[in-house]
Amino acid sequence: MTIAATLFGRDRASATLGATAAHADRLVPVQVASLGILLVAAQLPQAVYLPLWVGVLGVGLVLLRFALLRRERALRIRGEGPTRAANSAPLGGSEAAKRQAWGNHIPPWVLAAIAVAIAFLIRRQFGYFVGRDPCVAFLFVLLGIKFLEVRTLRDGTLLVCLAIFLLITPFFYNQSLLAGLAALPAVLATGGALEALAARDGQPLTARSVRRAWLRTATMIAQGLPIAAALFLLFPRLASPLWGLPADHAAATGLSDRMSPGSISELSLSDAVAFRVDFDGAPPPSRLRYWRGPVLSLFNGREWRALPPRAGGRLLEGEGRTVRYTVTLEPNDHPWLFALDFPSALPEIDTDGMRNAAGGLAGFSREQQLITRSPVTRRLRYTLTSLLVDRYPAASAFEMQQNARTPIGNPRTIDFARSLRERYPDDRRYIGAVLQWFHSEPFFYTLAPPLLEEGQPVDEFLFDTRRGFCEHFASAFVVLLRAAGIPARVVTGYQGGEINPRGGYLIVRQSDAHAWAEAVVDGRWQRFDPTAAVAPSRIERGLFGAVPAGDPVPLFAREDGGWLKSAQLMIDAINHQWQRNVIEFNRDRQRALWREWKLDRFAPWQMVVAVAAGVTAWGLAVLAWFAARRKRRERALTLWEEACRRLARSGLPRMEHEGPLAFADRASRRWPQFEIAFRAIGESFAMLRYGDLAKRDSERAALLATLERAIEALPRPSKLRAMT
Amino acid sequence: MLHHSRIYILPTRRGLAVIATLFLMLLTSLNYALSLGLAVTFLLGGLVAATLLHTFRNLAGIEIKPLAASDAFAGSDIVFSLSLAAGSIDRRSVAISANGVTTTSAVTAGQLATVALAVPVPARGRIALGRVTLSSTYPLALWRGFAYVHFPLAGIAYPAPEPSPPPLPAGDYGFDARAQGRGDENDLAGLRDYQRGDPLQRVAWKAVARGAGWFSKAFEGTASGGPVALEWSKLPRELDTEARLSRLTAWVLAAERAARPFALALPASAFAAASDSEHRRRVLTALALYPESAG
Repeated sequence: MTIAATLFGRDRASATLGATAAHADRLVPVQVASLGILLVAAQLPQAVYLPLWVGVLGVGLVLLRFALLRRERALRIRGEGPTRAANSAPLGGSEAAKRQAWGNHIPPWVLAAIAVAIAFLIRRQFGYFVGRDPCVAFLFVLLGIKFLEVRTLRDGTLLVCLAIFLLITPFFYNQSLLAGLAALPAVLATGGALEALAARDGQPLTARSVRRAWLRTATMIAQGLPIAAALFLLFPRLASPLWGLPADHAAATGLSDRMSPGSISELSLSDAVAFRVDFDGAPPPSRLRYWRGPVLSLFNGREWRALPPRAGGRLLEGEGRTVRYTVTLEPNDHPWLFALDFPSALPEIDTDGMRNAAGGLAGFSREQQLITRSPVTRRLRYTLTSLLVDRYPAASAFEMQQNARTPIGNPRTIDFARSLRERYPDDRRYIGAVLQWFHSEPFFYTLAPPLLEEGQPVDEFLFDTRRGFCEHFASAFVVLLRAAGIPARVVTGYQGGEINPRGGYLIVRQSDAHAWAEAVVDGRWQRFDPTAAVAPSRIERGLFGAVPAGDPVPLFAREDGGWLKSAQLMIDAINHQWQRNVIEFNRDRQRALWREWKLDRFAPWQMVVAVAAGVTAWGLAVLAWFAARRKRRERALTLWEEACRRLARSGLPRMEHEGPLAFADRASRRWPQFEIAFRAIGESFAMLRYGDLAKRDSERAALLATLERAIEALPRPSKLRAMT
Repeated sequence: MLHHSRIYILPTRRGLAVIATLFLMLLTSLNYALSLGLAVTFLLGGLVAATLLHTFRNLAGIEIKPLAASDAFAGSDIVFSLSLAAGSIDRRSVAISANGVTTTSAVTAGQLATVALAVPVPARGRIALGRVTLSSTYPLALWRGFAYVHFPLAGIAYPAPEPSPPPLPAGDYGFDARAQGRGDENDLAGLRDYQRGDPLQRVAWKAVARGAGWFSKAFEGTASGGPVALEWSKLPRELDTEARLSRLTAWVLAAERAARPFALALPASAFAAASDSEHRRRVLTALALYPESAG
């Protein structure tokens, strides 16, 4: 329990030394309150990523201490405050002391026990403890527990350190612009808390004092900005992680490498962004935007599965429209990169400096899918060139044979396929007939199809329910083709996407997930989309175009989202820029920038010297700023000294103890005819020098002018001396 | 007049803790490639760097001057006073310490502050102020800036007076015994006009407070108090040096209270009888610095 001892152990000094030592080190209420403000400011941005009870508990404990603090104050106002209670403890004030200083009366083992209990609860919640998410949750609650008993300056320092560490943990989950802005109040509150710990002046905490402390911190942060910016641009990023990234990621959403039509998928209902695409030039039309994901070849009658990926993909060359584009892929926990059918060059992956560790390209599978070495657990950018065609050469006889096996089960479908095949022995005409059948029979596209029984889902769908979405159609289509001996398989991925008019890039959401089919025709794999035969608008206009009115559709898949949707698109555009320029400023981008600035020509020692010179220049610049700020004040002093010198030469030296107003008074009595000038000199100097009133620069400038003119208005010392 | 050209700055313990935390945040952000984490870490790093400049600026340009050193008896405090001129900016919580004593001061721009350092003195002798440390942790106590100055300022710690000394020695003068017999300071005889050199303990403060003017209290026997001769050689043999000095000091004070002139004869030096405060100071200094024959 060494950690508990460190965190909750009594300060040895205050335990062994007398009351004086303990008191000198003890936090006053305003310091506790400043710490509390920092904690809440640091906790709130994190709370949304934690289980509800963790968030409520962590913030609740901090608020509890605030409530106790108020009670302490009420007690003190009644005259039983900590100082009096402590002083008069033997005389019976101990009861009050016990009540008020409750933080001092929680035995450390109680808090340690609470902490251990919380750790167990968190372990139960997450299923494990040593990992990023549970540790963040534990730190979050720990702040509250520690705050309950914070007593000494040392505790205060510890809390500040824990709190500023908590500032970066929300970025594990979200690095949006909003998340960045949400951290700023806590940054300012850090300054406020440190200032309170440093000052100990016991001034009550008011909105005004907090505002001033935050303003001072903001000034200092502004002064530190050049250093911060330089560090951000120049501090070398890591080539590979120092320690293994724990295997805890948000539950993977989106595509998977298996598919069982008939069990309703929530996939289509998610507005989450799968990836964004910036095209070089005009984006291709929606019907050509097939983003290839896992290819499912194995079917057991109910469920489709992908084969283990095998190398053997071939880059397409030939005629057709090529398009070059950059994909910003959100983490999806799968080793897949999505490409427009079909890549004509391997992707250039902006791997965040991890080319050798993770995220690098493992290969191009024979199903034309791009596979990474390890699951994509962080945002990834890659640039690709694709040839927009719908067919590619088939690989091998074995592959064709594998995909032409008659499927297991679903006897009605098999019978139907065989009878249809008798009428259309030509592959191409047979496929056309199947698509025509989908088109003419009463099949409906819906996102809420009836559940299909486990036994023969394809039979049930084709001949009974006839309601489904892309998975149902693609699956049934492939089964029909295979039953006729035509090699065919299911392809999953995304289709379409939405062009954001602000920024001109494409947003592909999870609701754009799609399944289609491909079959071997004339020795090539050719894409067929049976969904298009039933609901062509799904392909042209997206999900919203396809589903019947009244069906539930995610908000941002709607075309008539109105102002809400347009605002969302604008925010997405800002976020995309933020993403490109701030969040993804990684090792590669950094190196590119250095090359651009020709920094890579310098040896490390030269860089060190340059950085030292830069820091010195920054220090001098900030000090010069200070100097400029006080220049006005000094100008006032110079003028005043000149006035004093002139009066001294006129026979009226200022006395050491005399303030400007008193001296002006005395001079006015001596030379009443210049009373106005003396008054002006004395008062404007006093205002400039000591006045809180002349805060604004314009006022100060006016006062300076008055001072200057009034001095000029005085006669020369020799003349003045002669006057009476 | 001293300007601070040599100011040293080191992190405080809190500063070290914060810097260590920032380092941890840096490692975490680098490891998880959190660009925003790096941004926040560097922002706070910039803040820490900026506070260093503020700490420096809070000290740079302060003018500190020695004013005076009070005299004191061993066992009490010598008060060294220094003046602190803020110069053109406000100075906040500047700690001035010397000889293990610290006092904190804040001075607004253009103002002077007088700082008193009460240094406890355990033994008689010349007590030098020694090295004065000016330090400040303003604004956030992340850095401690400090500078050293030396002043040739020294106070004299007189020997501690013997707690209950024997009565003043009978002088060689005939009327001395009589004077001592009734010359107790409790017998107030009346007030007379204050004269320069009268001991301050005798000033009739109540009269001063009333605005009646400056008077000294005249005691019964005062007028007739003859000079006292305090001689090292006439002290009992069994007393060691410190005890002798203590007794002589106590007698000096007693003679002063009795408003009688006193003479002092030490092995190496002698002072003719007098009763003014300058004489008192010289005599006590000689006792403090014995066996040095300064003064």
